[in-house]
Amino acid sequence: MLVTKPLAELCALLIDELHGELPSRIFAMLLTKGRSTVPQLAQYTSMTPRQIRHGLAVLHQHNLLYYHVDASSDLAFYEANPENAYNLIRTGKILEMVETSFGAPAKDVVQSLLLSGQTRISDLVAAYKEKIDHATKEAAANGEEADWAAETNGINGDAPSTNKAGPVVKSTAHLNSILCRLVEAELIEVVHSTTFESPQDVQKIVEKEVMDKFFPAGVKGNKAKIEFQEKMAEGLRKVRAESKSLKRKLEQQGSGIKRRKLMENLAMAVTNGNHEEDLDPVLDPRQVIRINYEKCLVDLRNRRLVQFATDMYGETTAYVYGVLLKLLTKDLPRCRQDPLADVSEDKHDAEKPFLVTTDLILDNLKTSVDLSLGIGKAERRQVSRSVAERVEPYPPARRTFLDEAEVEGEASADEDEEDDESSEGSEEDEEDYKPVANGEANGVNGTNGARVKFAGAGGAAKEPRRLDRPTQLRQHLLLLCESTQHFVRHCGPDEWTVDFPALLRSLRETELDTVIERKCGRQGLRLARILRSKGKLEEKALPNVALMRKPELQQKMLEMQSAGFVWVQEVPRDLKADVKKSFFLWFCDVERSLGQMLANSYTTMVHCMQVLEALRYKERDVLETTKRTDVRGREKDAMRKEYYERYSRYLDCERKLFAQMMRLDDLVSVLRDF
Amino acid sequence: MATDNAADDSAKLKILKDALYEEMRQHGSETRLFTQRDLLDLNIVPNQNVMLLVRVVQGLCDDKLLVGTTNHHAGLAWRWRSREEAKKYTSLPNDETVMVYSIIDEAGADGIWNRTIKNKLNMHEAVVKNCIKYLESKGYIASMKNVEHPNKKMYIKATLRPSERATGGPWFTEGELDTAFIQELEGIVFEYIKTKSAYRGTQPQSSVSSGAPVKAPKKGTILGSDPASRGVKRSATEISTDDGTPAPSSRTAAGSGASKSRAVYLPMPAGYKHYPTVAEIAKFIHDTGITNNTTLSQADIQQLVDVLTYDGLVEPVYSSASGSNGRRRVRGYRVTRAMKQDTVPFHKRQKEREAGVGLDKPPVVGAEPLTNGLTEAPCGRCPVFELCEEGGPVSPSKCVYFLEWLDLEDSAAAAVPPARAAAAISVELPP
Repeated sequence: MLVTKPLAELCALLIDELHGELPSRIFAMLLTKGRSTVPQLAQYTSMTPRQIRHGLAVLHQHNLLYYHVDASSDLAFYEANPENAYNLIRTGKILEMVETSFGAPAKDVVQSLLLSGQTRISDLVAAYKEKIDHATKEAAANGEEADWAAETNGINGDAPSTNKAGPVVKSTAHLNSILCRLVEAELIEVVHSTTFESPQDVQKIVEKEVMDKFFPAGVKGNKAKIEFQEKMAEGLRKVRAESKSLKRKLEQQGSGIKRRKLMENLAMAVTNGNHEEDLDPVLDPRQVIRINYEKCLVDLRNRRLVQFATDMYGETTAYVYGVLLKLLTKDLPRCRQDPLADVSEDKHDAEKPFLVTTDLILDNLKTSVDLSLGIGKAERRQVSRSVAERVEPYPPARRTFLDEAEVEGEASADEDEEDDESSEGSEEDEEDYKPVANGEANGVNGTNGARVKFAGAGGAAKEPRRLDRPTQLRQHLLLLCESTQHFVRHCGPDEWTVDFPALLRSLRETELDTVIERKCGRQGLRLARILRSKGKLEEKALPNVALMRKPELQQKMLEMQSAGFVWVQEVPRDLKADVKKSFFLWFCDVERSLGQMLANSYTTMVHCMQVLEALRYKERDVLETTKRTDVRGREKDAMRKEYYERYSRYLDCERKLFAQMMRLDDLVSVLRDF
Repeated sequence: MATDNAADDSAKLKILKDALYEEMRQHGSETRLFTQRDLLDLNIVPNQNVMLLVRVVQGLCDDKLLVGTTNHHAGLAWRWRSREEAKKYTSLPNDETVMVYSIIDEAGADGIWNRTIKNKLNMHEAVVKNCIKYLESKGYIASMKNVEHPNKKMYIKATLRPSERATGGPWFTEGELDTAFIQELEGIVFEYIKTKSAYRGTQPQSSVSSGAPVKAPKKGTILGSDPASRGVKRSATEISTDDGTPAPSSRTAAGSGASKSRAVYLPMPAGYKHYPTVAEIAKFIHDTGITNNTTLSQADIQQLVDVLTYDGLVEPVYSSASGSNGRRRVRGYRVTRAMKQDTVPFHKRQKEREAGVGLDKPPVVGAEPLTNGLTEAPCGRCPVFELCEEGGPVSPSKCVYFLEWLDLEDSAAAAVPPARAAAAISVELPP
């Protein structure tokens, strides 16, 4: 990960927010100076080695460090882990995601894990045991809960105080079951010896191993190079698999899981999972576990995509899409493939195709959802089934974003059309429509059952006609297939898949368009998109395409240029390079704009943090009062009215700023991680 | 028909002239070029007498009824000119005026720049000016404007209408791009596409999870009137369509809350064949007769639809349709983000606008633009974003926009000395 100045600043601020100033300063120093030893750090920061060690311990506990022990010199080199530092900002989102998919108890466990960093299972169990005992002693016991939550007041702002009587996690067996489920979902992974090696170190170690083992004479020739790459990938995958050891063990012990999987479908929304705790094998208490951010990102990406679908189509379609994504990405370990490790995994993929069938989606849809909503009605003969049901077995090649369908062959579509025509009138109507209820008096209806009256007239005449559920589901899926954003690909009859790279490209473009539209107006967006689809354009050609007045257009282009959305290239006509005679070509470089946007997002996040800091300084007298033990927890009663108002206003602002950072993180995720 | 009596008298010549002129008019339009061969073949001049022909043609040229030109592959050639035109020529007082008039005449519908006239004729400016003044006063020529060169003074024959190239096509009125006209027409085209490409139905008004009022990001929320709707919680309840959360809208809601349903546009099912095409839109525009004195070709409408496409308001869809010549692929257009579209009918909006309501909105309404983190924070639109840094002249901790955004304005005014506050605010945010 490329660490830019705003990102480094942001990471330091985040660590300062959550873990205090000491680790933050060390972290910032590590980012600026690169990998260092303790004495070096002491020199850079003018702190004592003892202080440094304290700071490093905190950082290490929260997975914010890599270290490498040099075998020859016995010196440990420390290195910052900017990914995880940035991931701190996602704490709240991850918790919320876990809560919706696994329930409140799981959220509680994950929260504890996030707060305490990497944890030995036995410690976690002990902590929970104490808590449970404590709770059973005191009836109205959410004090402990509040203590846990109070410290997090950083990112996840107002952790909703659990008002339920008693702890959310009922017993250690319950805890064990939750952990098992999280491990299975790969949201929790095992910490092992190579976890703390930086990716470069891991690569070096694996490379050395491979060289020693297979290529003692060095890699020569193309064939050997490919073989070397494969061996490297294999080695890296092996390292990666180590953190999944717990999951593998669970799978081996399997009996309980299978049974639970059966139950899962039946009891999807059951909140208190007493049902099958006893079936779970007890996890090895010596294992150290932590949150797997990579897998969390996959789930967060699903959510973002569902929201994208909501923006484009509507809730019902997006709901179907959400279910599809969830099923599709169940075994997807990460959003982006590692260029080194996933080289030869294609062979592996071929065995297990990456797709979901209609039936599987249907099985996972909630029965309360009415699939007839969200799609307009059209008569049978107004819809071409062959176009709608076109199967695209291969992912699309990269194309320009407008006019893309023009590239597609025409002949094949025509051929399909013929047999489509013949079948359209007869059998399909029979199977897709239930006979029209006798309520509607429809003249045409008597002779030809296929011609159902179109409910378009005012929309008032509600058609009694209902499609059956699988057909409705297919309609939603086909709608998603037809989209210009490549939401879904119909990769085989009744088989669906998602081309994430293409989809995310369009999502990124949409984000860019949003920013352009907000900053430069609709006309700015128009100009940017013209350039994107037509390539470089001369200044004189633009007004005709955009139907804008020349002076306005020039002003808009300058505005966009200074905002970093378009660029201009000067092409002289002759050697003299006379400015009056030169061509001026405008163009639009999406990648560059996106990079700029990412940097701006980081900076904006930093600004949010700094504004918050300034706010805290301004309200320091109020905040100090709230820290007093006799005030804490009952601010409203203990503080003077005026003070309390200031305090609550401060809290409002804080919440707003954090929410804003969350929204910015949405953007950063789309641009960088998904 | 003339006889072959050889004679020199002018009467005969005149008869021949008239005969030749009439015969030429029969054989082609004003633009047709006649070579010597063509003229002889008309069989007016007896015995293929070239000398006689020369005299006849010379006589016609003197009367301005024929115009001699050199055509690069046929050599010397002539075309005829109408008698009214010829009369104009002969009525002109002097040669200079004739030359100026003829050069303007030749320029045709494109018109000609007065500097070009001067250069071509190599005359003194005052002379040219006088000639033009005379011609204009006679009503033979008129000045015109060319969109490509708005600053040049151009002249055209008064009887001609400026060409398409000079006027810039239907989008220009008096040499200016008629943006108001374009916008109105865009609005109509967009409305047509919207109503034809999406299904107007009803959707039950469900609770928080799908309620449009909560979802639709209002432009005003940037000022932070409703912090909760932008916060974590909001996204939480909205995005979650996973397990354990309320599903988007349930059947029960559809059954019971029929009264609470709202009108929405719904996307058409995949493979819909009747998305409006440019030809249909052009026909619609033509039939309604909105553009009473300008005719819009399909290419013009295509240009308009392309602009809407670039604006992200509509998108092309390809479908197949059966026509007279078998099946072919047709490009139709549909509205993007159908469910977020304004459902108030166009004529109602139009009335509102006439009454002065909603004039701040663009005539092409479209869906509310999307938002993201960068568009919401003050930084996303800050004019001094690049300079802003802790310790710099502008810094986040002293940012007035943030204070405004956080609703802390009044306290800010108290904290910042008035003079400085004024200075800081003088950098206005772009609207």
